[in-house]
Amino acid sequence: MEEILNNPYVFPVIATMLIIALFPLVAGYIVLAERKVLADFQVRLGPMRVGPYGFLQPLADAVKLLLKEDIIPAAADSWIFWGAPVLSTFTALTAFAVMPFSDRFYVADVNIGILFILAMSSIGILGLILGGWSSNSKYSLLGALRSAAQMVSYEVPLGFAVVTALMVAETLSMQGIVQTQYDKGIWIAFSNYGLMLVPTALFVIAGVAETNRAPFDLPEAESEIVAGFHTEYSGFRFALYFLAEYASIFVLCGVAVTVFFGGWLRPFANVGFLEVPLNVIFPILLFLLIGGGCGIGTMRVSLAYEKGIMAVLTLGMLLVAALFAIPAVNVLIIGFFWFLFKVLILVYMFIWIRGTFPRFRYDQLMDVGWRYLIPISMGSLIVNGVVLLLTS
Amino acid sequence: MKQFLKTIFLVDLLQGLWVTFRNQKPSLIYTEQYPKERPSVAERYRGAPRLNVHPDTDETLCIACNLCALACPEELIVVTAERNEETRRKELTMFTYDTSRCMFCGLCEDACPVDALELTQDFELASYTREGAVWDRQMLEEGPLPTEYKH
Amino acid sequence: MATHTTFLDTNELVLNMGPQHPSTHGVLRVILKLDGERVLGTECVIGYLHRGVEKIAENRTYQQFAPYVDRMDYVAAVSNGLGYCLAAEVLGGIEVPERAQCVRVILTELNRIASHLLWLGTHALDIGAMTPVFYCFREREEVLKIFEKYCGARLTTHSFRIGGLQYETYDNFEKDCHTFCDWFEKKVDEYEELLTTNRIWVGRTKGVGILDAEACKAYGVTGPVLRAAGVEWDLRKAQPYCGYEKYDFDIPTCENGDTYDRYLVRMAEFRQSARIIRQAVDSLPSGPIKGKVSKVFKPPIGEAYVSIEAPKGELGYYIVSDGSVQPYRLRVRPPSFVNLQALDEMCRGALIADVVAIIGTIDIVLGEVDR
Repeated sequence: MEEILNNPYVFPVIATMLIIALFPLVAGYIVLAERKVLADFQVRLGPMRVGPYGFLQPLADAVKLLLKEDIIPAAADSWIFWGAPVLSTFTALTAFAVMPFSDRFYVADVNIGILFILAMSSIGILGLILGGWSSNSKYSLLGALRSAAQMVSYEVPLGFAVVTALMVAETLSMQGIVQTQYDKGIWIAFSNYGLMLVPTALFVIAGVAETNRAPFDLPEAESEIVAGFHTEYSGFRFALYFLAEYASIFVLCGVAVTVFFGGWLRPFANVGFLEVPLNVIFPILLFLLIGGGCGIGTMRVSLAYEKGIMAVLTLGMLLVAALFAIPAVNVLIIGFFWFLFKVLILVYMFIWIRGTFPRFRYDQLMDVGWRYLIPISMGSLIVNGVVLLLTS
Repeated sequence: MKQFLKTIFLVDLLQGLWVTFRNQKPSLIYTEQYPKERPSVAERYRGAPRLNVHPDTDETLCIACNLCALACPEELIVVTAERNEETRRKELTMFTYDTSRCMFCGLCEDACPVDALELTQDFELASYTREGAVWDRQMLEEGPLPTEYKH
Repeated sequence: MATHTTFLDTNELVLNMGPQHPSTHGVLRVILKLDGERVLGTECVIGYLHRGVEKIAENRTYQQFAPYVDRMDYVAAVSNGLGYCLAAEVLGGIEVPERAQCVRVILTELNRIASHLLWLGTHALDIGAMTPVFYCFREREEVLKIFEKYCGARLTTHSFRIGGLQYETYDNFEKDCHTFCDWFEKKVDEYEELLTTNRIWVGRTKGVGILDAEACKAYGVTGPVLRAAGVEWDLRKAQPYCGYEKYDFDIPTCENGDTYDRYLVRMAEFRQSARIIRQAVDSLPSGPIKGKVSKVFKPPIGEAYVSIEAPKGELGYYIVSDGSVQPYRLRVRPPSFVNLQALDEMCRGALIADVVAIIGTIDIVLGEVDR
């Protein structure tokens, strides 16, 4: 038994299987969270009927997409039509291999982690192009090409922002970057006398454009003439594209959190006296609060099965709060907690941006990318580099 | 200069973000979860038609004057009456109202001299058949019975 | 040498924005001729919502026809009713009492606010901002609640009758109007905060769909589109009806005649309407609500044309009477129909994404275009 556990392949394989098994569920719940958060902004309620407070909506969506008729256009190239969403999903999920969820929970710590993720997101664009091309519909192709051009253009400022952060971090490995932030005692976003805030903002903006989210979502806009590359997709293939999109959002937010916001470190990781308040009291309070909310929800829902689900959730949250109180368990899960917390805040910001702004027209979109973001990112790279050199 | 700084620091975008953020208060949610919460309609709401009966005697108030049928733009009211030899008055026998063609304009309600025909506050008029939308006198006096939802 | 051309090589592409489309505000079919992304020309195909309203008018009495009029511009039904009743009253030589005129003005201005709110919500949604539509509909709910409390229906109100009003105002009418105006002006501030200076919004609407004053006058375009081009023409001031000369309000205009200016004009019209409502409610006279009209309305032989300033432009009713209880001919001059002619000129040289914005900014309702 000991030998099996000490085998270096065991944990990564278990982690991989967990990620592949859980990610569709997580993606579904991110979709539900998006719908509920958007509804909050729009003074309405969002899904409420399926399950308590709409909590089982992802299940209903998954069942619906699976049972839908699988339509393949007659003139489409069926092998590529089949393979394009698979490619997108594959690249999005592979990037999870180097995500540092916590100091002990990760699949692999490759020493070129960042490069791997950027490469995977670039290959993912191919999935879009192939999807549009294989549909054999001129509007799908146009939409796919526009989408691909947009993603390729915004990879440049994304890359520049990451490179600027790498100058501070001095390593390409994801765990190494987090370790550097621990050693320096300050998150990369706020280091270098606050000059690194510019690359942080650039990364977030380019990230929104990279994942085709509003306000940069003209290629898949609902009120446009075409639905872009996924016009001809229905049923499970569409679900795969959807999954790939939300996986890439999660990856991008994960990269932003790792590179700029300290990864799985708690805020002020070096300050000793904040260890107990932030690592112990804060999670316990948070989960107690959520558990309390679920408890109130249990009393408010009317149906029996809804009450059951809410009661289970309440108990679950209280159990997690209790787990954080045990020091031995706390050490294991606190990294994961902070990582997820920060990623979810960033995802919330993505949804907030989507709910507020109108969308750019395509030429304005490319304008913003090429004429503003790229020069600013190059400029910030030079300025940050010079300041680092002078102060090292 | 001030404009330039505002442009760099994305002030207009942050302003927009703040507007949507502060609209997140749960007290501002405007949704009514129908059918759990039925909306409260106004008193004058022009909904389902009803033939009123006298509260004490349970006799219909309608005097079969046919004014409502003449007022209706769609000609969907049919009033039949027969003359009662004892009281020498017209008495209502059949009253047919086709709610499938009704546009709820209220002209019939305005025309009725005795307030017998009234458009009430019921708005749930769905029926499973085309014929079910044509109401006879009994349905008009009882009113529609919408489904009670348990959840 | 044989050349192999694909669709990417051809210079002109004909694209059909079909009747079923989320952004055409109804069943409007626009055939676009494109050169790459640029629009070379458009052609509108209408008639998908034609219901023969004008023909129906020839077979109904004047009072019976009034509910049908609401169904034309179904977004702002009260103005339709106002125009029709004014035309019938001119034809029949009926005088409307002052109280009825004042209440008519209040309801028409509330209706203008409701119409512009729907315009703002759907226009913002077409351009991509998905939250203003919910805020606008929330405000619209309040207006519709006032309509419901007054006449019993939210959308197809049938609120006016020939000669005045049918219903007396309900008990809290003045208070409701004042509360609404106070609450609403804060909401207009909120919309301005969200959209007016937003660089994405300005980028999408400035310089898009320019229609200058000469073109407006040539096409016969009226309403906010005309005012945004710089022409200060509002029928409420130029040919006052229904007692509008008693109220103090401004006519907002802009200079460029592009989409952004039309947005600004309509936002300013919100505030002016609220101003008019406040003045009207404060000066509501007492008195009868219906003039002397016989039960059987038989206007003398003649014709009348009355036009009012509907939220979308000049709405005109031309009624010809042959002395019977049914009109001989009723013709409606819908503002959306006339304004839609300018779509071609506005779309020349624009990109496809702008076509959606331009259709939204003219503010058309297909019920009115097709009748």
